[in-house]
Amino acid sequence: MPWTNSADGLRTLMAGAAAGVLAYSALPALAQSPKIGDPPEAKNMRLVGYNDLQARSAYQPTIQKQGSRYIAYVGHHGGTPDVPKPVNKLTGQAEFNGTSVVDVTDPAQPKYLAHIPGLPGNYEEGGAQMVRVCDGKTLPKGDAGKTYMLRVFGGRGHEIWDVTDPAKPALLTQIVMGLKDTHKSWWECDTGIAYLVSGVEGWRVRRMTQVYDLSDPLKPVHIRDFGLVGQEPGATGAVPMELHGGVSTGPQGNRIYFGHGTNKGGVLQIVDREKLLKGPKEPTPDNLRYPEISRIEMLPFNGAHTVFPMLQMPVAEFAQDKDGKVRDIVMIVDEQIRNECQEERQIVWFVDVTVEAKPMVVSNFSVPEASGNFCQRGGRFGAHSSNESMAPVFYKKVVFITYFNAGVRAVDVRNPYQPKEIGYFIPSITEATDKRCIKVDGQDRCKTAIQSNNVETDDRGYVYVVDRANTGMHILELSGDARAVAGMQ
Amino acid sequence: MTFFTASALRLAGVALAGSVLAATPAVAQAPKIGEPAEANNIRLVGFNDLQARSAYQPTIHKQGDRYIAYVGHHGASYDAKPRNPINGTQEFNGTSIVDVTDPGQPKYLAHIPGAEGGPESGGAQMTRVCDGRGLPKGDANAVYLLRPFGRLAHEIWNVADPANPKLVTRIGGDYKDTHKSWWECDTGIAFLVSGVPGWRAQRMLEVYDLGDPSRPAKIRDFGLPGHEPGATGAVPSDLHGPISTGPRGNRLYLAYGPLNGGIFQIVDREKLLQGPKEATPANLRYPEVGRLDMSPLHGAHTSFPLLQMPLAEFAKSRVGAVRDFVMIVSEATGRANGCQETHQMVWFADISVEAKPMMVSNFSVPESSGNYCDRGVRFGAHSSNENTAPVFHKKLAFITYFAGGVRALDVRNPYHPREVGHFIPAMTEATEKRCFKIDGQERCTTSIQSNNVETDDRGYIYVVDRANTGMHILELTGDARAAAGMQ
Repeated sequence: MPWTNSADGLRTLMAGAAAGVLAYSALPALAQSPKIGDPPEAKNMRLVGYNDLQARSAYQPTIQKQGSRYIAYVGHHGGTPDVPKPVNKLTGQAEFNGTSVVDVTDPAQPKYLAHIPGLPGNYEEGGAQMVRVCDGKTLPKGDAGKTYMLRVFGGRGHEIWDVTDPAKPALLTQIVMGLKDTHKSWWECDTGIAYLVSGVEGWRVRRMTQVYDLSDPLKPVHIRDFGLVGQEPGATGAVPMELHGGVSTGPQGNRIYFGHGTNKGGVLQIVDREKLLKGPKEPTPDNLRYPEISRIEMLPFNGAHTVFPMLQMPVAEFAQDKDGKVRDIVMIVDEQIRNECQEERQIVWFVDVTVEAKPMVVSNFSVPEASGNFCQRGGRFGAHSSNESMAPVFYKKVVFITYFNAGVRAVDVRNPYQPKEIGYFIPSITEATDKRCIKVDGQDRCKTAIQSNNVETDDRGYVYVVDRANTGMHILELSGDARAVAGMQ
Repeated sequence: MTFFTASALRLAGVALAGSVLAATPAVAQAPKIGEPAEANNIRLVGFNDLQARSAYQPTIHKQGDRYIAYVGHHGASYDAKPRNPINGTQEFNGTSIVDVTDPGQPKYLAHIPGAEGGPESGGAQMTRVCDGRGLPKGDANAVYLLRPFGRLAHEIWNVADPANPKLVTRIGGDYKDTHKSWWECDTGIAFLVSGVPGWRAQRMLEVYDLGDPSRPAKIRDFGLPGHEPGATGAVPSDLHGPISTGPRGNRLYLAYGPLNGGIFQIVDREKLLQGPKEATPANLRYPEVGRLDMSPLHGAHTSFPLLQMPLAEFAKSRVGAVRDFVMIVSEATGRANGCQETHQMVWFADISVEAKPMMVSNFSVPESSGNYCDRGVRFGAHSSNENTAPVFHKKLAFITYFAGGVRALDVRNPYHPREVGHFIPAMTEATEKRCFKIDGQERCTTSIQSNNVETDDRGYIYVVDRANTGMHILELTGDARAAAGMQ
């Protein structure tokens, strides 16, 4: 259903906040799915602003400081069979879901600036779900006056757009097209090296890594293809789990953390960046093994959807110990894929990688199901993604995890051996919120619930959570005790 | 060292009389004699000083209508042959036998001397007990105690009359070491931790059929590939000990590397017993079902299976609501006094898919809750109870934590283990100092060193002290009883 009256929606949302009914100190144990008009559920998190994102199913929000402005670039999944091409109210045109560009300089009054259409196709078939942004002044060969947006074009390819004027994005480059799939790429803004998640013809997986030098966004240079041994063309036997995405620590850290597998067969792989870039490029088993430092295989019924390094963490609990008081941690977030708890619960893991050759999971975080009867609410219940900003305001102190129908959860990670929830926010559903169905006795049985999909933070401490079920983008801030954990006033 | 049975008992009695503190005070330095025990939801029921011998494994055996505690001892640190007041002779530390039928009034019955030597070389630290009538070819009237003789050998004693133990058999005699063995009382198969000459590991597995305790029959040697004679390269971590689930469960859970470099291994029991026995890498790999290499910073001292656990948190998930776990306890070494190492703690591995075990959670005692690093000697985990009687199994686990005493964990959700009680005994005059060199200087401290713990089917908890303070018999109180489903 298209969202036609965003002003009313915002008014409803903000009225709840003003009346003080917004923040429940405890979750009501909803016996069934939420209803339109129910207030949001929150603890130690407050709604600051909202944009409906034209009721498009949203994946990755990336917040870029552009001069004195803050711009949110939000990648979208494809549309729905009911509304394959939502109307872009700025132009009056029906457009396939692509990228929303929203000015969030004033987080209470986000301004929708532009929509860049994506690939035709519903849900995961179309759209342009991933987005990363770099300033031309940090890219070695960029135009210092420009801002560049890297996005996927559905599962077909990767593009670079000039978003210097975010209201008027202009396509610069098609890096590669004709892929089998794309996904959660990474772009180093200081070197220009990009780790694109691509499905290259001939490789045995839908998603692996294509390393590109995008330091000159006008002249992409392919460096190599990479994946787990067994994924390369010509290999035989079982195909190792496909890539989901990687995070690089750049030339200084010299590491790339790759998460393979979303909801099962998870593998965290630690790769030597220098060896990946400089090593022999032919996709032979030896060459694919060469840059790998180590890997940890997860329980086969859990994934490794996103991986987020938190290195050199002083763990207060170990402060008195002579050895092992500082630990290197990687947080792994699985992705819940099936609706209404029809698979193993996907949660959050903390891996101690202090001894890189032998990473070990040490702890986990999950939202207690009974705290909200989430299995009965409809849609997915479980983890999906974390913020990836490393701005000091939250980094290594608080992480934000999207948990689908349990909203976004703020987790104190200062002691990664004992992560602890300190707040949450579950947005209200609106008329735009799309249904999610499961088969019961061969028939579709549908429910409507919030599906908080991805989350990002900015260096001011605002939290941007976007909804997979078309409910839009909620801009939040910590309140109460949770602010102290981040060292905020 | 002089002996203070009476005064030690009196000091323990102080705590018994009700001065147990509800919360652990933040003791700023080493505890002192005369200070009360620290406790939460655990109460002292009885005490025995174990002749002030450094204690390792307590095994509680129901013998007819009596309950007998068999406590293995380390060798002595200073007084090489403490006096056994029962017979008036000086004896190397060995095995204490204590009647705990009335836990409020434990009666010391006998001491079986062990091997000559210091803490880790002498004594007879391990004990396992089987009834003759349960063993396939045992004497139905006999009760058998299996113990090591220091590092050199294993022995079987007939303890049918626990006050008059009689040696039945000795196995080995030329080992490099021994340690925490396991004995299946229904089949007689024993998984002995031995250091067989020629093997590269100080401690590996020697499988014996002890179905007839008077005729031990060796089945095979076993270890990690690289442990076997003739192997080259780095030697994998030593075995610490196994736990078998017997012919029905058909699994052995083995912990290697107690202090660091922990490795947890799942072995097919049938393949281990029936497979090719020659110590080749392929034959050693053959029975392995799964293996988890831990972060080398942490060790695997004991591995205790918690199988088929229904998890309330996942109850509404269509799949994955019942999981198999192993609780792994690392050992704090006190390589030097007061946290001069990486903190060693407790781990929970999800082994639902045996080929790919993964650690999922941990438990540690917050250091600041008792300023334990300042108390001296070791602070950190060591061992758990191993009794699988319904009273506690898969509900509560008890962990010895050296200066942190014994901790009661609610393990009903192994993804989130939670402490529900603790007990740190009061020191006595018997509590012995431990000295270590730090930067060339010898530094000595004295603190409770809760070493090993066992439970019985009545719900009593037996915690013994490495620093000679004796055995404290405890029970749960308050909320903690509810976690175990006790009245």
